[in-house]
Formats: sequence, C-alpha cells, structure tokens
Amino acid sequence: MSAGLQAARAASSSAPAAPIAGAAFKGLMAIFVAAGVLGFAMNVGGANAARAWQAYLVNLLVWLGIAQGGVVVLAAFYLTNGRWAGTTQYRLAETFAGFIPLGFVLFWGLYFGRTLIFPWVLHPIAQKAAWLNTPFLFARDGIGLAIMTALSLWLVRLSRTAQAARWQRSSEEILLAPNPIRKVAPALAICFAVVYTIIAFDLVMSLAPAWSSTLFGWFFFAGAFWSAAAAMALVATIMRGRLGAHNAFKNPKVMHDLGKFVFAFSVFWIYLMFAQYIVIWYGDIPVETFFIVLRVYLPPWQHLSYAVLALIWVIPFVTLLGVRPKKTPWILGLVSLGGIAGIWLERYVLIVPSLSPHVVPLGWIEILITLGFIGAFVLCALPGLDRLAAAATEETWVEEHE
Amino acid sequence: MGVSMDIIGSFADDQLCAKGIADLRHAAVEDFHVFSPIPSHHIEHAMGKPKSRVRLFVLLGGITGILTALALTIGTTWEWNLGSGGKPMISWPPFIIICFELMILFGGLSAVTSFIVNAGLPAFNSASGYNSRFGEDRFGVVVRCDAADGDRLEKIESILRNAGAEEVLRDAA
Repeated sequence: MSAGLQAARAASSSAPAAPIAGAAFKGLMAIFVAAGVLGFAMNVGGANAARAWQAYLVNLLVWLGIAQGGVVVLAAFYLTNGRWAGTTQYRLAETFAGFIPLGFVLFWGLYFGRTLIFPWVLHPIAQKAAWLNTPFLFARDGIGLAIMTALSLWLVRLSRTAQAARWQRSSEEILLAPNPIRKVAPALAICFAVVYTIIAFDLVMSLAPAWSSTLFGWFFFAGAFWSAAAAMALVATIMRGRLGAHNAFKNPKVMHDLGKFVFAFSVFWIYLMFAQYIVIWYGDIPVETFFIVLRVYLPPWQHLSYAVLALIWVIPFVTLLGVRPKKTPWILGLVSLGGIAGIWLERYVLIVPSLSPHVVPLGWIEILITLGFIGAFVLCALPGLDRLAAAATEETWVEEHE
Repeated sequence: MGVSMDIIGSFADDQLCAKGIADLRHAAVEDFHVFSPIPSHHIEHAMGKPKSRVRLFVLLGGITGILTALALTIGTTWEWNLGSGGKPMISWPPFIIICFELMILFGGLSAVTSFIVNAGLPAFNSASGYNSRFGEDRFGVVVRCDAADGDRLEKIESILRNAGAEEVLRDAA
C-alpha cells in the first residue's frame, strides 16, 4: 500500500458511533417501500396484474443481482489477493449483502404470479416439460438461491473477522488470506456461475420458451457482476464527499482502480452480448432470431435496446477510457449511476417483451414497484454502509506533498 | 565547459532512489539518467517525463488495422459476390470481427516496432556510468556535471547521500 495510507488501529470492522444515514433518510426509504407495496397490492388483483408481476420480476433480478454480485466481487478480491485499498475495498464489496436474504424471500413470491410470468405454466410445452414445470423450477431455483444466500452470508461474516482485516491491511505479497476464506470464496464463485446460469435460464430465457442461447446464463450473471461494480463505484463517489477530509476514497488511485473495474467489465458485457448476437445473426434461424428481432429491430422495443447499449457500454467505454475521467468522482459516479439504470433497462428489455411484445408497459405501476425495491435495497444496505464508512474513515489517506 | 564528470549514486531501494531523483529535480538538477533492474512506478513518477510517443504510433497502427480490415473484407466481397443465406453483402457484424482483430495485430506490431526505435535500440554503446549491478539488484542515478565545479559536485553528492544512497562515486565521463 502506498506510504500515505495509514490504519489507525488494527481492530476488526465495527460500526462507527454515528450511522451514515439519519432518521429522515430512513423514513424516506420506508416511504418508498410502502409506495412499492401499495403499488403492487393495488394492481396485482386487477387487470394490470401481469404488469405488476413483470415489474416485480425485473426489480427482483436487478437488485438481487447487485447484492449477490457484490459478494462475488468480494470473493474475486480474495481469489486475486487484491489489497489495493485495504479493508475499504472489502467493506465496499460487502455493502449490499444485506439484501440477499430478502431477495431470497421475495423469490418465493414469484410462485403466486407464476401463471402470469411463465407462459409454459398454462400452456406446457411437451418437449421441455421435464425441465419447465412448476415444482422442479421452484425446487432447483429455491435450493440454488438458498445455497447462494448461505455461502454469501458465511463469506461476509468471515470477511469481517479481525484476522481477515489484518490480512486486508497487510501488503506482503506472500501472505495468504485466512484459511476458511480460501475455501469459501472459490466455492461461492463456482456456485454463483452455476446457480445464476440456471436462474437466467429459468426466470428470463424460459419466458420465451421457444428460444435458447447457450451463453445466456453467463451473459446474465456477468451483467449482475458488473452492476455490482457500478454500484460500488457509485457508493465510493458518494462516500468520498460525505466522509471526513482524509477518507480512503480521497486517494485518486482508489478511484482509478474502481474506474478500471467498471470499464473492464462493461467491455466484458458487450463481448458476451456480441458473442450471442453474431451467432444468431449469422445462423439466421427463425427460432433464434425472433428474440433479437423483437428487441433490436422493431419498434417499440428497439429504442430501449439502444438505450441499454449506450448506458452499459458506449458511454462507460468512451468516458472511462482515459485516466483522468476515472479519477474524477462526478464523472465516475454519473457513469455508474447510468450503468445501474442501464442494467435495470437491460433486464426489462430481456424479460418484458416476451410477455408484452407490442406494448412497452412503463407507467406508475413500474415506477412504484421500482421505488419499493430501491427503498428495501437501500435499507438493507445501510448497516453495510455504516461499516464501510468506519473502514474508510479509519484508513486515512493523506496527499503526499509534491 | 571543459571536462565532464559523472556522479553515480547507487540505491538498494526503488523508493529511496525515487526520493533521490525528486530531490535532485527540486535542486534544479536535470542532466541525469537512471538505471533500474526492474520497472518501478515510483522512479517513473519521480522522473516526471512526458508520456511516450509510442502511444501515438500504437493508435496509428490500430487505425491502419481497422482500415486494412475494411479494405480486405469489403474489397473481397466486391470482387467475388458470394452470398450466404440471404444476408446483406456488406454487413457490420461479421466484418467488425476482422476489423477488431487487425486493429489489435497492427497495433501490437506498431507497439513493438515503435518501442524499439524510440528506445534507440540496438544500443551499441552502453550509457555512461553503467555497472552490472544496476542490472541485478541496485538502482543507479548518474548525474553529468562539469568536473571543475567543485561546489555543484559536492551539492549533488550530498543530495544523493541524504536520500539514502548506499554509495556515491565520481567517475570520469
């Protein structure tokens, strides 16, 4: 670590005396949750029930993706022995983990909307019935998400021990992370790939049951991983301004590293997207092309698809290519915020056209339910933000003279 | 002017070497070169040299690659109109792959070539003050100055010693 980074005391992470969010902010988030619950409850029984469930599914996958992606980023940091920002980077990755158990609970809610979400429930498909049937789907996805929830909470708890914090602050290359972490982190990474591939196939790809793309699972969870990176960069730029004068996020190298992370995985996302696109384009087989044609070539979805491309790849690539924009907090923060909006739109464009091909349902129902999920997500992330604030304030950075 | 002399400071640590370089530049001493057995960001940062011209050549190489690929793909399509499955003849999805690959290839080759040229390689005469230990485990700062200017020589030697040089020698240039 650079000479300017100092740790005030070698203690395990703990919440500071003053929490990062006041009662007013928590109250606002609670209002968001109430608005979401109200918006959902008022519509789920009526003519717009399908829209309510679509918004529920889109938001569940977006926010659970960010929360789970954060823990996978945590595992990636351990797997690569990354210590470019001490305990701060680890607390940053753990920030959103609080939403994972809630996401797991909300997943089961999909059972009650299954007739409106999964076309194959009311119209089973003979050849795919062995895989696409209600009990098997909920069993495998439920068990998969249960495993991910357990592994995630376990890794986060291991990561918050004093022994882990000591390793996170050390700079000797030869020191390995604590033993339990070296076993849980790879297990979590592999389970993430497997479970979220199945989640993508079941909850997104099966909504257009005639369509399949082998790489879709990876494409989906790479997007989730990137959304976590973007969320981490956004939180870092916000924390940078709100914490003390010498907090760890003031170090331009930390912002540079976060910017590189966001940039690199946005390129990974477009790579996986194009890998599917070129194969489908070249084969030109109707059973594969209809999915793309509906979303990319035909209005009304065409414009949203271009917006997704701009927010997730074009803008981050062009803006974050240079060194200075990555080190400029407002640029990195704005691009990351746009990226999170892009991921939301991406999930929306993947899921909703299968259920509503000709109409783009975007109105109060979607806004209220999205606000509800945002409120719940932020409230679940507040304890993690407090720990992050404590770590970033402890690990001060003082600008070296000259 | 007259006879020149080299002052050679030998450091065991790259951060101390970087400090020595920073102190020299503070004292408005700029006529020096540095030997390093390993790449070091600290030394690079301390020397404060402008960004390399190699970057421009890599960009030009990359652009040439893209244009070459477009010429290759579009040119061959115009020569032999082999349709495949009714897809458009000149289309970006397959052509962009070739453009990307040739951009990387030409960019990489220009990087290597422009680096070799820019670094003045092959260097038939080794730079003054070089000692084999600067290729092993020591960092060397070699300052060129006027042999007659005793004050300046002593000032430079003291700067290097204060920064933590293991050894400071004078050598005829």
